[in-house]
Amino acid sequence: MLLNGVRAAAVVGRVSGTVRGGADEREETMAVSLRESVGRVSDPRNLDASVEEVFRLMLGIECRREAGLTVVDKESVTSVVGFGGLLSGACVFRSGSRTAMKIAAQMTGMEFDAIDNTVKDGIGEICNMLAGAWKGKVPELAANCGLSVPAVITGRDYHLHVQAPEFQLHHGYRFGEEIFEVTIVCDGLQ
Amino acid sequence: MVRARTPIEEKGGLGMNEIRALIVDDSSVMRKIVERALRQAGLDALVVHEAGTGAEGLEILKTKPVDLILSDINMPTMDGLEFLRQIRAQNLAEGVPVVMITTESSEEHVKQAIQSGAQGYIRKPFTAEQVKERVLPLVRAA
Repeated sequence: MLLNGVRAAAVVGRVSGTVRGGADEREETMAVSLRESVGRVSDPRNLDASVEEVFRLMLGIECRREAGLTVVDKESVTSVVGFGGLLSGACVFRSGSRTAMKIAAQMTGMEFDAIDNTVKDGIGEICNMLAGAWKGKVPELAANCGLSVPAVITGRDYHLHVQAPEFQLHHGYRFGEEIFEVTIVCDGLQ
Repeated sequence: MVRARTPIEEKGGLGMNEIRALIVDDSSVMRKIVERALRQAGLDALVVHEAGTGAEGLEILKTKPVDLILSDINMPTMDGLEFLRQIRAQNLAEGVPVVMITTESSEEHVKQAIQSGAQGYIRKPFTAEQVKERVLPLVRAA
Protein backbone atom coordinates (compact mmCIF):
# COMPACT_ATOMS: atom_id res chain seq x y z
CA MET A 1 0.00 0.00 0.00
CA LEU A 2 2.73 2.42 1.02
CA LEU A 3 4.93 1.33 -1.85
CA ASN A 4 2.19 2.00 -4.36
CA GLY A 5 1.50 5.43 -2.94
CA VAL A 6 5.15 6.46 -2.87
CA ARG A 7 5.69 5.13 -6.34
CA ALA A 8 2.64 6.96 -7.69
CA ALA A 9 3.73 10.29 -6.22
CA ALA A 10 7.32 9.86 -7.37
CA VAL A 11 6.23 9.14 -10.93
CA VAL A 12 4.02 12.22 -11.01
CA GLY A 13 6.89 14.33 -9.67
CA ARG A 14 9.35 12.98 -12.22
CA VAL A 15 6.99 13.49 -15.15
CA SER A 16 6.15 17.05 -14.21
CA GLY A 17 9.83 17.80 -13.54
CA THR A 18 11.08 16.60 -16.91
CA VAL A 19 8.18 17.46 -19.15
CA ARG A 20 6.91 20.67 -17.63
CA GLY A 21 9.93 21.73 -15.59
CA GLY A 22 9.52 24.39 -12.87
CA ALA A 23 9.65 23.58 -9.17
CA ASP A 24 6.37 25.39 -8.49
CA GLU A 25 4.58 23.38 -11.10
CA ARG A 26 6.04 20.17 -9.75
CA GLU A 27 4.96 21.11 -6.23
CA GLU A 28 1.45 21.80 -7.46
CA THR A 29 1.36 18.49 -9.27
CA MET A 30 2.65 16.70 -6.17
CA ALA A 31 -0.14 18.25 -4.11
CA VAL A 32 -2.71 17.11 -6.68
CA SER A 33 -1.10 13.70 -6.71
CA LEU A 34 -2.01 13.21 -3.08
CA ARG A 35 -5.58 12.68 -4.28
CA GLU A 36 -4.20 9.68 -6.11
CA SER A 37 -2.24 8.52 -3.08
CA VAL A 38 -4.97 7.58 -0.63
CA GLY A 39 -3.09 4.36 0.00
CA ARG A 40 0.00 6.20 1.19
CA VAL A 41 -1.95 8.67 3.34
CA SER A 42 -4.06 5.94 4.91
CA ASP A 43 -1.17 3.55 5.54
CA PRO A 44 -2.04 2.09 8.96
CA ARG A 45 1.64 1.86 9.91
CA ASN A 46 1.83 5.66 10.06
CA LEU A 47 -0.82 5.73 12.77
CA ASP A 48 0.86 2.95 14.77
CA ALA A 49 4.25 4.69 14.54
CA SER A 50 2.70 7.99 15.62
CA VAL A 51 0.97 6.47 18.64
CA GLU A 52 4.11 4.60 19.70
CA GLU A 53 6.26 7.73 19.27
CA VAL A 54 3.98 10.04 21.26
CA PHE A 55 3.49 7.60 24.13
CA ARG A 56 7.16 6.65 24.31
CA LEU A 57 8.56 10.18 24.17
CA MET A 58 5.96 12.08 26.19
CA LEU A 59 4.87 9.43 28.69
CA GLY A 60 7.69 6.88 28.73
CA ILE A 61 5.08 4.24 27.92
CA GLU A 62 5.48 1.45 25.41
CA CYS A 63 2.10 0.66 23.94
CA ARG A 64 1.15 -1.79 21.26
CA ARG A 65 -1.69 -2.15 18.82
CA GLU A 66 -4.05 -5.05 19.35
CA ALA A 67 -6.79 -6.22 17.06
CA GLY A 68 -10.31 -6.19 18.38
CA LEU A 69 -9.75 -3.79 21.30
CA THR A 70 -12.76 -1.63 22.07
CA VAL A 71 -13.27 0.81 24.91
CA VAL A 72 -16.34 -0.46 26.74
CA ASP A 73 -16.26 1.82 29.80
CA LYS A 74 -19.52 3.63 30.44
CA GLU A 75 -17.61 6.78 31.38
CA SER A 76 -15.21 7.76 28.65
CA VAL A 77 -13.09 10.68 27.50
CA THR A 78 -12.82 11.60 23.85
CA SER A 79 -10.62 14.24 22.30
CA VAL A 80 -11.01 15.44 18.73
CA VAL A 81 -8.49 17.44 16.69
CA GLY A 82 -9.67 18.55 13.27
CA PHE A 83 -7.62 18.53 10.07
CA GLY A 84 -8.08 21.26 7.47
CA GLY A 85 -6.42 22.07 4.17
CA LEU A 86 -5.10 19.37 1.89
CA LEU A 87 -6.90 16.82 4.03
CA SER A 88 -10.08 17.46 5.98
CA GLY A 89 -11.18 15.20 8.77
CA ALA A 90 -10.25 14.51 12.36
CA CYS A 91 -8.04 12.58 14.73
CA VAL A 92 -10.06 11.11 17.58
CA PHE A 93 -8.64 9.68 20.81
CA ARG A 94 -10.96 7.74 23.11
CA SER A 95 -10.37 5.95 26.39
CA GLY A 96 -12.17 5.05 29.57
CA SER A 97 -11.95 7.45 32.50
CA ARG A 98 -9.44 5.35 34.42
CA THR A 99 -7.07 5.17 31.45
CA ALA A 100 -7.40 8.91 30.85
CA MET A 101 -6.47 9.59 34.48
CA LYS A 102 -3.47 7.25 34.23
CA ILE A 103 -2.25 9.02 31.10
CA ALA A 104 -2.68 12.43 32.71
CA ALA A 105 -0.86 11.18 35.81
CA GLN A 106 2.03 9.98 33.69
CA MET A 107 2.18 13.34 31.91
CA THR A 108 2.07 15.52 35.00
CA GLY A 109 3.37 13.44 37.88
CA MET A 110 0.07 14.14 39.71
CA GLU A 111 -2.59 11.70 40.90
CA PHE A 112 -6.20 12.02 39.77
CA ASP A 113 -9.42 10.52 41.10
CA ALA A 114 -11.79 12.36 38.76
CA ILE A 115 -11.84 13.71 35.22
CA ASP A 116 -10.96 17.29 36.02
CA ASN A 117 -9.76 20.05 33.70
CA THR A 118 -6.13 18.93 33.95
CA VAL A 119 -7.02 15.42 32.77
CA LYS A 120 -9.08 16.85 29.89
CA ASP A 121 -6.24 19.20 29.02
CA GLY A 122 -3.74 16.33 29.02
CA ILE A 123 -5.91 14.11 26.82
CA GLY A 124 -6.49 17.02 24.45
CA GLU A 125 -2.74 17.52 24.17
CA ILE A 126 -2.14 13.82 23.54
CA CYS A 127 -4.65 13.95 20.69
CA ASN A 128 -3.01 17.11 19.35
CA MET A 129 0.40 15.40 19.30
CA LEU A 130 -1.03 12.25 17.71
CA ALA A 131 -2.63 14.33 14.96
CA GLY A 132 0.58 16.30 14.41
CA ALA A 133 2.79 13.21 14.38
CA TRP A 134 0.43 11.39 12.01
CA LYS A 135 0.23 14.17 9.43
CA GLY A 136 3.98 14.67 9.77
CA LYS A 137 4.51 11.19 8.30
CA VAL A 138 3.35 12.47 4.90
CA PRO A 139 5.43 15.52 3.85
CA GLU A 140 2.63 17.07 1.76
CA LEU A 141 0.30 16.91 4.76
CA ALA A 142 2.93 18.24 7.17
CA ALA A 143 3.16 21.41 5.10
CA ASN A 144 -0.39 21.81 3.84
CA CYS A 145 -2.72 20.49 6.51
CA GLY A 146 -3.59 22.53 9.59
CA LEU A 147 -4.78 21.34 12.99
CA SER A 148 -7.62 22.67 15.08
CA VAL A 149 -7.23 23.13 18.81
CA PRO A 150 -8.43 20.00 20.65
CA ALA A 151 -12.02 19.56 21.79
CA VAL A 152 -12.63 17.16 24.68
CA ILE A 153 -15.90 15.33 25.31
CA THR A 154 -16.69 13.39 28.47
CA GLY A 155 -19.74 11.42 29.37
CA ARG A 156 -21.62 8.18 28.79
CA ASP A 157 -22.99 6.38 25.79
CA TYR A 158 -22.13 8.79 23.03
CA HIS A 159 -21.10 7.83 19.53
CA LEU A 160 -19.06 9.50 16.85
CA HIS A 161 -20.57 9.21 13.42
CA VAL A 162 -19.04 10.43 10.16
CA GLN A 163 -21.02 10.11 6.98
CA ALA A 164 -19.23 8.27 4.17
CA PRO A 165 -15.60 9.09 4.96
CA GLU A 166 -12.94 8.96 2.26
CA PHE A 167 -11.14 6.56 4.55
CA GLN A 168 -11.08 5.75 8.21
CA LEU A 169 -8.44 4.11 10.41
CA HIS A 170 -9.62 2.78 13.73
CA HIS A 171 -6.99 1.13 15.94
CA GLY A 172 -7.01 -0.10 19.51
CA TYR A 173 -3.85 0.05 21.67
CA ARG A 174 -2.84 -1.38 25.02
CA PHE A 175 -0.34 -0.46 27.70
CA GLY A 176 -0.47 -2.62 30.82
CA GLU A 177 -4.13 -3.15 31.63
CA GLU A 178 -5.19 0.07 29.94
CA ILE A 179 -6.66 0.35 26.46
CA PHE A 180 -7.51 3.25 24.20
CA GLU A 181 -8.66 3.82 20.64
CA VAL A 182 -7.32 6.21 18.02
CA THR A 183 -9.34 6.97 14.91
CA ILE A 184 -8.32 8.94 11.86
CA VAL A 185 -11.29 10.04 9.80
CA CYS A 186 -10.69 11.59 6.40
CA ASP A 187 -13.76 13.11 4.76
CA GLY A 188 -11.90 14.95 2.04
CA LEU A 189 -8.52 14.74 0.33
CA GLN A 190 -7.43 17.29 -2.27
CA MET B 1 39.09 42.62 24.95
CA VAL B 2 36.02 43.61 26.98
CA ARG B 3 32.90 41.76 25.99
CA ALA B 4 29.44 43.24 26.21
CA ARG B 5 27.32 42.17 29.16
CA THR B 6 24.76 39.54 28.31
CA PRO B 7 21.04 40.19 28.84
CA ILE B 8 21.21 37.80 31.77
CA GLU B 9 24.05 39.74 33.35
CA GLU B 10 22.29 43.03 32.63
CA LYS B 11 19.30 41.76 34.55
CA GLY B 12 21.23 41.15 37.73
CA GLY B 13 24.08 38.78 37.04
CA LEU B 14 22.21 35.51 37.26
CA GLY B 15 24.27 32.33 37.22
CA MET B 16 24.20 29.99 34.25
CA ASN B 17 21.58 27.77 35.81
CA GLU B 18 19.37 30.60 37.04
CA ILE B 19 17.00 31.37 34.23
CA ARG B 20 13.69 33.22 34.11
CA ALA B 21 11.58 31.53 31.48
CA LEU B 22 8.22 32.47 30.01
CA ILE B 23 6.26 29.42 28.81
CA VAL B 24 3.28 30.18 26.59
CA ASP B 25 0.89 27.32 25.80
CA ASP B 26 -2.88 27.02 25.98
CA SER B 27 -2.40 23.62 27.61
CA SER B 28 -1.50 23.84 31.30
CA VAL B 29 -0.25 20.25 31.13
CA MET B 30 2.16 21.11 28.32
CA ARG B 31 3.44 24.10 30.28
CA LYS B 32 4.27 21.75 33.16
CA ILE B 33 5.93 19.26 30.82
CA VAL B 34 8.07 21.98 29.25
CA GLU B 35 9.05 23.25 32.71
CA ARG B 36 10.00 19.73 33.78
CA ALA B 37 12.05 19.25 30.60
CA LEU B 38 13.93 22.51 31.26
CA ARG B 39 14.77 21.36 34.78
CA GLN B 40 15.89 17.97 33.45
CA ALA B 41 18.03 19.86 30.94
CA GLY B 42 20.01 21.26 33.87
CA LEU B 43 18.24 24.57 34.50
CA ASP B 44 17.75 23.82 38.19
CA ALA B 45 17.19 27.33 39.48
CA LEU B 46 14.44 28.04 37.05
CA VAL B 47 11.88 30.79 37.60
CA VAL B 48 8.88 30.11 35.38
CA HIS B 49 6.19 32.51 34.26
CA GLU B 50 3.25 30.79 32.58
CA ALA B 51 0.83 32.21 30.04
CA GLY B 52 -2.18 30.42 28.56
CA THR B 53 -2.48 32.78 25.60
CA GLY B 54 -0.23 35.01 23.53
CA ALA B 55 -1.96 38.08 24.96
CA GLU B 56 -1.15 36.94 28.51
CA GLY B 57 2.42 36.36 27.43
CA LEU B 58 2.72 39.92 26.13
CA GLU B 59 1.36 41.31 29.41
CA ILE B 60 3.94 39.32 31.38
CA LEU B 61 6.75 40.58 29.14
CA LYS B 62 5.67 44.18 29.84
CA THR B 63 6.11 43.74 33.57
CA LYS B 64 8.61 40.96 34.19
CA PRO B 65 12.14 40.44 32.84
CA VAL B 66 12.75 37.04 31.27
CA ASP B 67 15.82 35.30 29.85
CA LEU B 68 14.07 32.74 27.67
CA ILE B 69 10.70 32.40 25.93
CA LEU B 70 9.18 29.08 24.87
CA SER B 71 5.90 29.24 22.98
CA ASP B 72 3.43 26.91 21.35
CA ILE B 73 2.27 27.86 17.84
CA ASN B 74 -1.20 26.37 17.58
CA MET B 75 -3.17 28.41 20.12
CA PRO B 76 -6.65 29.96 19.99
CA THR B 77 -7.14 33.73 19.63
CA MET B 78 -3.48 34.67 19.08
CA ASP B 79 -1.26 31.95 17.67
CA GLY B 80 2.41 31.63 18.52
CA LEU B 81 3.65 33.28 15.34
CA GLU B 82 1.48 36.35 15.94
CA PHE B 83 2.69 36.39 19.55
CA LEU B 84 6.25 36.41 18.23
CA ARG B 85 5.49 39.23 15.78
CA GLN B 86 3.90 41.27 18.57
CA ILE B 87 6.97 40.80 20.77
CA ARG B 88 9.12 42.26 18.00
CA ALA B 89 6.62 44.99 17.03
CA GLN B 90 6.34 46.18 20.62
CA ASN B 91 10.08 45.88 21.25
CA LEU B 92 9.55 43.52 24.14
CA ALA B 93 12.22 41.07 25.32
CA GLU B 94 14.98 42.40 23.10
CA GLY B 95 17.85 39.92 22.80
CA VAL B 96 15.88 37.19 24.57
CA PRO B 97 15.91 33.87 22.70
CA VAL B 98 12.54 32.48 21.64
CA VAL B 99 11.98 28.77 21.02
CA MET B 100 8.79 27.54 19.39
CA ILE B 101 7.44 24.19 20.64
CA THR B 102 4.80 22.77 18.36
CA THR B 103 3.25 19.76 16.70
CA GLU B 104 3.82 21.40 13.30
CA SER B 105 6.94 19.95 11.74
CA SER B 106 7.19 21.00 8.09
CA GLU B 107 10.08 23.06 6.72
CA GLU B 108 7.54 25.77 5.92
CA HIS B 109 6.48 26.08 9.54
CA VAL B 110 10.09 26.20 10.70
CA LYS B 111 10.82 28.90 8.11
CA GLN B 112 7.81 30.94 9.20
CA ALA B 113 8.89 30.72 12.83
CA ILE B 114 12.46 31.78 12.05
CA GLN B 115 11.21 34.64 9.84
CA SER B 116 8.98 35.77 12.68
CA GLY B 117 12.00 35.96 14.97
CA ALA B 118 12.33 32.57 16.66
CA GLN B 119 15.82 31.26 17.31
CA GLY B 120 14.85 27.65 17.96
CA TYR B 121 12.21 25.08 17.11
CA ILE B 122 11.23 21.92 18.95
CA ARG B 123 8.66 19.50 17.60
CA LYS B 124 6.19 17.76 19.91
CA PRO B 125 6.54 15.04 21.04
CA PHE B 126 10.00 15.81 22.38
CA THR B 127 12.51 14.44 24.86
CA ALA B 128 14.27 16.32 27.64
CA GLU B 129 17.49 15.69 25.72
CA GLN B 130 16.14 17.55 22.68
CA VAL B 131 15.16 20.47 24.88
CA LYS B 132 18.66 20.48 26.35
CA GLU B 133 20.33 20.39 22.93
CA ARG B 134 18.24 23.21 21.48
CA VAL B 135 17.67 25.51 24.44
CA LEU B 136 20.93 25.53 26.41
CA PRO B 137 23.12 26.84 23.56
CA LEU B 138 20.69 29.71 23.06
CA VAL B 139 20.68 30.55 26.75
CA ARG B 140 24.47 30.40 26.87
CA ALA B 141 24.76 32.64 23.82
CA ALA B 142 22.24 35.22 25.08
